[in-house]
Amino acid sequence: MKRLLSQSPRNLLFLFQVLGITLLLINKGRATDRLTLGIVAGLILVIYLSNYILTKISKGDNYIFLITTMLASIGIIMIYRINEGLGIKQLVWISMGIILFFFTYFIVKKIRIWEKLSYIYLIGAYFLFLITFIFGDKRHGAINWVNIGNFSFQPSEIIKVLLIFILSSYYSNKERWKEFNKYSSYYLMGIVYSFIALLFLQRDLGTAMLFYIIFAAIQFIYEDDRKLIFINIALIVVFGILGYLLFDHVKIRFQAWINPWRYIERQGYQITQSLFAIAEGGFFGKGLGLGHPDFIPVVYTDFIFSAICEEMGIFTGIGIIMLFMIFVYRGFKIAIAQRNEFYRILALGISILFGAQSFIILGGVIKMIPLTGLTLPFISYGGSSILSSFTALGILQVCSEEIKSKEELDEAGD
Amino acid sequence: MYNILALLFKYIFIIIIYLFIFSIIRLIYLDISGMKYQSLDDKAYLKLINRKDSLPFKIEEYYIIDKELTFGRHGDNDIVVKDPYVSKKHFKIVEDEDEYYLEDLGSSNGTYLNGDKIYDIVKLNDGDIIKAGQIEFLFVNRK
Amino acid sequence: MKQEIKRIIIVLAGFCLAFISLIVYLSYFQVFKASTVKNNSYNKRLWINEASILRGSFLDRNGKILVYSENKDGTYIRNYLYGRLYSHIIGYSYREYGKTGLELQYNNALLNISENATLNELKNLVLPSTVGNNIKLTISHDLQSKARELLKGKKGSIVAMNPISGEVYAMVSMPDFDVNTLKEDWKAITENPDSPLINRATQGLYVPGSVFKVITATAFLEKENLDMNYECTGTANVGGYEFSDYNKKAHGEIDLEGALVNSCNTYFTTKSVEVGKDLILNIAERFLLNNEIPFDLPVKSSQFPYKGFIDKTELAAASIGQGKVLVTPLNMALVASGIANGGQIVKPILVKEIISNDGKVIRSNKTEILSTVTDPVKANLIKEMMVEVVNSGTGTKARIKNIKVAGKTGTAETSSGKSHAWFIGFAPADSPKVAVAVVLEEESATGGSSAAPIAREIMLYAINNIKE
Repeated sequence: MKRLLSQSPRNLLFLFQVLGITLLLINKGRATDRLTLGIVAGLILVIYLSNYILTKISKGDNYIFLITTMLASIGIIMIYRINEGLGIKQLVWISMGIILFFFTYFIVKKIRIWEKLSYIYLIGAYFLFLITFIFGDKRHGAINWVNIGNFSFQPSEIIKVLLIFILSSYYSNKERWKEFNKYSSYYLMGIVYSFIALLFLQRDLGTAMLFYIIFAAIQFIYEDDRKLIFINIALIVVFGILGYLLFDHVKIRFQAWINPWRYIERQGYQITQSLFAIAEGGFFGKGLGLGHPDFIPVVYTDFIFSAICEEMGIFTGIGIIMLFMIFVYRGFKIAIAQRNEFYRILALGISILFGAQSFIILGGVIKMIPLTGLTLPFISYGGSSILSSFTALGILQVCSEEIKSKEELDEAGD
Repeated sequence: MYNILALLFKYIFIIIIYLFIFSIIRLIYLDISGMKYQSLDDKAYLKLINRKDSLPFKIEEYYIIDKELTFGRHGDNDIVVKDPYVSKKHFKIVEDEDEYYLEDLGSSNGTYLNGDKIYDIVKLNDGDIIKAGQIEFLFVNRK
Repeated sequence: MKQEIKRIIIVLAGFCLAFISLIVYLSYFQVFKASTVKNNSYNKRLWINEASILRGSFLDRNGKILVYSENKDGTYIRNYLYGRLYSHIIGYSYREYGKTGLELQYNNALLNISENATLNELKNLVLPSTVGNNIKLTISHDLQSKARELLKGKKGSIVAMNPISGEVYAMVSMPDFDVNTLKEDWKAITENPDSPLINRATQGLYVPGSVFKVITATAFLEKENLDMNYECTGTANVGGYEFSDYNKKAHGEIDLEGALVNSCNTYFTTKSVEVGKDLILNIAERFLLNNEIPFDLPVKSSQFPYKGFIDKTELAAASIGQGKVLVTPLNMALVASGIANGGQIVKPILVKEIISNDGKVIRSNKTEILSTVTDPVKANLIKEMMVEVVNSGTGTKARIKNIKVAGKTGTAETSSGKSHAWFIGFAPADSPKVAVAVVLEEESATGGSSAAPIAREIMLYAINNIKE
């Protein structure tokens, strides 16, 4: 029994999910309807099987999917505890996400033209920005959401992935581009900065920061013209200071970060409530269902981590951080082992994406860095976030396998 | 009543999460050191004799032999090795009634068993050395 | 190729470092900051228990009820019997305005909630609490009322305590406000330029002026081979600045006692140079300046902000309690206590006991020595000088018939031009029962004329009426 548990994280995950659901159902008291039980049991089964099947069909990494399903499980349990309806919805999103994961995996693996589509990515990105500005809704201070009929999505989640594709397709062919135009690296930087500026206009500071980090890291690794990196750093410092001086909404975030207690009724409200929740939780938490996540604002998305710390303790919080750390490590290892340049940069971009995004929101809710409105990948509630995260995961899974270059494919033919 | 349960479970959850994390770390570590977590005691396998980093192409240290194992430069083989001295289909090992047999598949440079070039199907014994191209394997069968 | 891998590893290391710092920060927060963060009135969790628990009462040292809660039609109403008198000490506990004073600091005890979360949960499972604990203060209600009477119409503070046990008998800060009409008066209270919400005894920082000379005198005694004699001419030039005595009066040939009795500025300023900043700083810190004072209410640290090099004039000014020196009235009461108690300062105590609803004493605050400022011999010397101050010096208005009173007056110059009037002292000098500190903010009268008589009344009342 012990061997079974310690040797198979898949089984541990299964146990965790079962215990969590059991506890929550006992908490509910009333009988649960068949449909919910069906969906829950279904998802637990799907996750277990997915992890198993993946080891058979993919020669690549098994761990990233395992880690993300654990993170997703913690998220579902917490969200269900706070709000049953949203919990069920999250179950559905995660299930769709897993399907999307396999779908993306097969598509990206079979179709091989990805590195050549640079212009399409670019047009797609600007198009999505256009839609956001024309049709966008303001929520929580940022124009982030687009409503089409009954359903809404966040275009920035898609643009995120497009950005990584743009960077990968550029830097994997950098000699060709440089031949095309001596200053193409500068143009690239200009394009990325235009994205960041558009995001800034939308007041989506978190995604702007995220784009910057992804770009800066990739540029640091791949740009031959080193002075561009310094220009990059200088520019962001200048813009950062300008942003603080000129724009109130930037200043407010800084004030709320440095001393939220002074502004506890207005700009400091969210972060102080988050800190109360974390402080109340202690190391082991108050216990599922025994805390008060209803006192935390925006708890389903930005502050889900605070609710987790309140009811499940700092130790669970640290566990989540460690899981993200291992995930990023695996992503980088996948990148290093990948011999195909395009897929290597893709893997790097995705790993950096998850690493930076989780760091930014985690740091923000514990007041280590100023708060920005990003979601915690796989854990926060939200269809757009879950779907784009699983898509990126699918791409990463493809990158973890050996990609035969065109020559090798030809050779294999005879 | 529920409260006591929740109180108890919070410790259980944390324990499970950390067991999960540590088992993953352990598995990753084992992967890095090259050993698969299956025990090799009751299986037959090929162990690479050459120094892995002295070879300019990708290759593993251990290859477990099930019913059949093919070796060559072509992507369809069980062991794929981009050695220019290795033919597209070089040799294969077949299991029959708990014994393992080595067969050369018409390679350009030949397959060598303990230094001798083989022409027919040969039975493999524990400790035999198989050479193809630049690669040397030790055949292990502890059964 | 190799370079690319190196750079990738650098970025990876950067991320790992970032995540590890998250873990460290989170842990640090939980271990060090969590308990103070939790105790904030905006934390709604503090309130959830309120609705179902009878909050404990506050009593004075003789058991007189000052504040209590009662059940009226299903909800609990809190009654503050003396809305103004204890507005700073006990404070208030309202949903809209939060909690202050001891209502905040002892919130858990008043609701009978354990500090330890786990213990609390277990307790709640087995025996959920419906009644809180009562708190018995060290305050004497009669003395507290008397002190408030004496300060009526003025701004300032009085602190009276027992120098041997540390029990605080009275702590008044004026102006005050009425806790019972908090809602109606809120606007007026918050817009009042005299800030009635502040507890001046613990949060008010004042220029001490001559009362600081008690500390300087202690430093002088500690200096070896210091020539105690001085020829006072009424003025003295130290480091280029001319210091002068009150009305430029020349005191002639005096020693340390004479200087203290007459509050001679030129004596102290001149000799401070010889004694040196380090020794004076050292003694000031032993008297708890620059230090945190542990107390049942939060206390601002008094300041003797001279860590690096300072020139002669600055040191001279500091030695007579001017310059950048700032003190709280509580700290000055502790200064007097230190001399009264043979050179040892005890921890001030406001809460005597926490008593459960069925009469059991759950916790009581014990006397504790915070600091030793000097040895008993020197403390005794200072004490005798302070007795002489009241007998024949600037503090004669504090004299009590048949009782030996020790004291020191002070008239502190401020930047606004309106001086503070100070008096610190204790009585009976040979076996002290009470130590006081009185400060009249911006009174523009001397300490000896306006603060000393108030101190006299306090000490007399305390000696006659308070049992230990």
